Amino acid sequence: MMSSVPAGSRPRPRHGPLRKFLRHAVVLTTAAATLSGCAVANSDSTGDAGAADGSTLRIVLTQEPPTLEPCESSLTSTGVVVRSNISEPLIERDPSSGELRPLLSTGWRRTSPTTWTFDTRSGVRFHDGRPFTAEDAAFSIDRAVNSDLACNVDGYVFEGRELSVRADDANRLTVTTAEPDPILPLRLSFVEIVPRGTSTEAKVREPVGTGPYSIADWQTGVSISLHRNDDYWGDRPAFPAVRYVWRGESSVRAAMITKGEADIAAGLDPEDADQDDSVAYPNNETTALRLNGREAPLDDIRVRRAIGLAIDRQGITDALLDGLAQPAAQLVPEGVVGFNPAMIAPPPDPETARRLVAEAAADGVPVDRQITLIARNAQFPRVSETAEALQYQLDRIGLRVRIQMADTAEHLQYQLRPMPVDAGPVALLIMHGNQAGDAAFTTSQYLLSEGPQSYFGDPELDRRTARADGLSGRARQDAFAAIFAAERDAVAQYAYLAHMRGLLGIAKTVRYEPNSATGDELRLAAVTPADGQVR
Amino acid sequence: MTTFLRKRIGSSAIPLLVVVLGVFCLARLTGSPVDLYLPLSATAEQRAEFAAEHGFDQPILVQLWDYVLGALRLDFGESLRTGQTAGEMVLAAFPATLQLAAVTMLIAIAGAVLIGSLAAYRPNSPADRTASFLSMTAASIPDFWFAIMGVLVFGVSLALLPTSGVDGGAEVWVLPIATLLIRPFGVLVQVVRGAMVAALSAPYVKLARSKGASEKRVVFGHALRNATVPALTVAGDLTIGLINGAVVVETIFGWPGIGKLMIDSILQRDFAVLQAAVLLTAVTIFALNILIDVCYALLDPRVRQTAPA
Repeated sequence: MMSSVPAGSRPRPRHGPLRKFLRHAVVLTTAAATLSGCAVANSDSTGDAGAADGSTLRIVLTQEPPTLEPCESSLTSTGVVVRSNISEPLIERDPSSGELRPLLSTGWRRTSPTTWTFDTRSGVRFHDGRPFTAEDAAFSIDRAVNSDLACNVDGYVFEGRELSVRADDANRLTVTTAEPDPILPLRLSFVEIVPRGTSTEAKVREPVGTGPYSIADWQTGVSISLHRNDDYWGDRPAFPAVRYVWRGESSVRAAMITKGEADIAAGLDPEDADQDDSVAYPNNETTALRLNGREAPLDDIRVRRAIGLAIDRQGITDALLDGLAQPAAQLVPEGVVGFNPAMIAPPPDPETARRLVAEAAADGVPVDRQITLIARNAQFPRVSETAEALQYQLDRIGLRVRIQMADTAEHLQYQLRPMPVDAGPVALLIMHGNQAGDAAFTTSQYLLSEGPQSYFGDPELDRRTARADGLSGRARQDAFAAIFAAERDAVAQYAYLAHMRGLLGIAKTVRYEPNSATGDELRLAAVTPADGQVR
Repeated sequence: MTTFLRKRIGSSAIPLLVVVLGVFCLARLTGSPVDLYLPLSATAEQRAEFAAEHGFDQPILVQLWDYVLGALRLDFGESLRTGQTAGEMVLAAFPATLQLAAVTMLIAIAGAVLIGSLAAYRPNSPADRTASFLSMTAASIPDFWFAIMGVLVFGVSLALLPTSGVDGGAEVWVLPIATLLIRPFGVLVQVVRGAMVAALSAPYVKLARSKGASEKRVVFGHALRNATVPALTVAGDLTIGLINGAVVVETIFGWPGIGKLMIDSILQRDFAVLQAAVLLTAVTIFALNILIDVCYALLDPRVRQTAPA
């Protein structure tokens, strides 16, 4: 009989494999410990050196910006780092008053119905040392609006309009529009200026700008560090360095403030916010149900009105949104040109709502057809509970609703044209932020019959919106306010829910007053150490 | 052993292929990334150009073929989000996850062997019951809850540890590892204890004792060796779970690893990065499986003898 041990081989020591395993384990442990060496791979750990002496402003965001490309700065996650920090626009809008203020442009005027002239500032240099001229401004506008880069600012702010841009000399710029555009300077306040020669073929990940800070280091997945631009043309900001990190969990962001690991924390949930260390601010966001009026039973205006009457806005804002939001009656909050102060959020009236649904049913409207209420995960704190409350309130008036929670990409399929055709009656829970402060940015997207984010509309309202677009001043305010009221009465595509507020964590080590733009634009120069000393 | 290895690697190739194909197809079923990456005003031409540039306009089989050809050349495509190559991003993120998983598992195994053996040595003693209760509790605690509680207790209230992040010394490892550790540790203590109880009452242990072997030799030399085989199998599965389950820890603690990268890629429909991340994770898991089998075979020669020559 053959032995399984080859002849001549030495007998294996007892417990050999186990010892070998343990030896390997020890080697592995040592290797792992060496590997770790108190530094995490991919972190290129540099420590948090600025924290101890207060010279580094530490900000914790909800997510890592996918890019710092200036022409994408209308995206919240990019804009909050880039805008007016790394790069700057020609003009800035005061978030509180709505007034436009000079920045890289010192003055502007309308020289014909379709032409605007801008004077540009002298003595400004980009981070790489090159001087800023009107040609750079012309290049940047052309790059963001007219190029094939498909920048978000082109879509959200310029809505695909083509501009003709020309630098008349080193300090003067002329912009011509195809149609009269009374709010062109406001639109241009969203275009961040980059130097000539910046790629027009591809978006840049780390830009060069004229802002008070430039990029020092971006460790993908870990942090972004900025340092103060010592050649900045304007006032010197208080902190020599800024460091952004991101944590997806609101409770961790709040804990970082409490623990002293961060000075500012974005987007806190109400349950995590400590009263002493957080500030609520109006973030210009409004939530509403957008009703697909092309599908029964939502194609009957009585059913759409009934939904508006069924919602207990005060109950939802008190119980679920921690009293931070305010019941809404229109898509824009106070402070936006076109806000209609006469429109008041109605109290819930389930009796009338039930009667309207019953009337529609009597006329043959299939009110028992299931409506899909689609909401987006993490769109705002307690979004799923809000959807459940809405489902219950609609159920009470005789409508059948099922909830579908979606991620951003899936939600976008319903939010933007072309919308899915076979989805049946959909009530989409939307959150609209009008950061530009003019109703035109809302109506063009949400109210026009063929608006990119609109299911349907009314031709007469479309005509009125087009007329209002060409107005300025008081006439513009009144025309848009009337359009919001007419939409509610004649179309009722929206069942409004609430004007939202954001919560910002602010440590006692720093001073900062958030405003309605803070969620999209956190100006570092507006943050100062608590002792007021410039570091 | 070579034959055993060859056969084992061969049998892993098919599931690996299935995983890669599955992720490739499932990702595309979630919808086109065009809406996420282009502005509202993007023209039909811009949409078509974007789709063509990234190959989304091709039939799925052509896309798959291109992907496979690229992967064979180690070209996994470009991230839609960052413009970096997918391979670069994944290779940068993976070591952070591996470090976390390796350190966690080694601590779990060492601790579980010690506590499980001690508990099994005197079954039903107060020490055994305490160990059993605590390990069962540990195995049942949701990692998400544990992580947040860890932050609140050790980060905020006691101020002993950082709440999150990777900058700093050994202290940044404590909460992420404790969170990852709790479940495998609980499970492993149970497994080691059970295997040791069975081993300690086996005839060969009684024989060893009757021959006058020291208790140390009986426990660690005879019983533990036999108890190691089931524990090792479970430890292997738990390690695989750790790599997959690093998502929670990485998201909460801002740990720059593959789990967070994968979740971000899914949410952003960043197909190239997702595919590269899944492929690397799958290869690692299969490699781990093979490693476990090799260890298993080393510990129990019957295993490798079953492999046909």
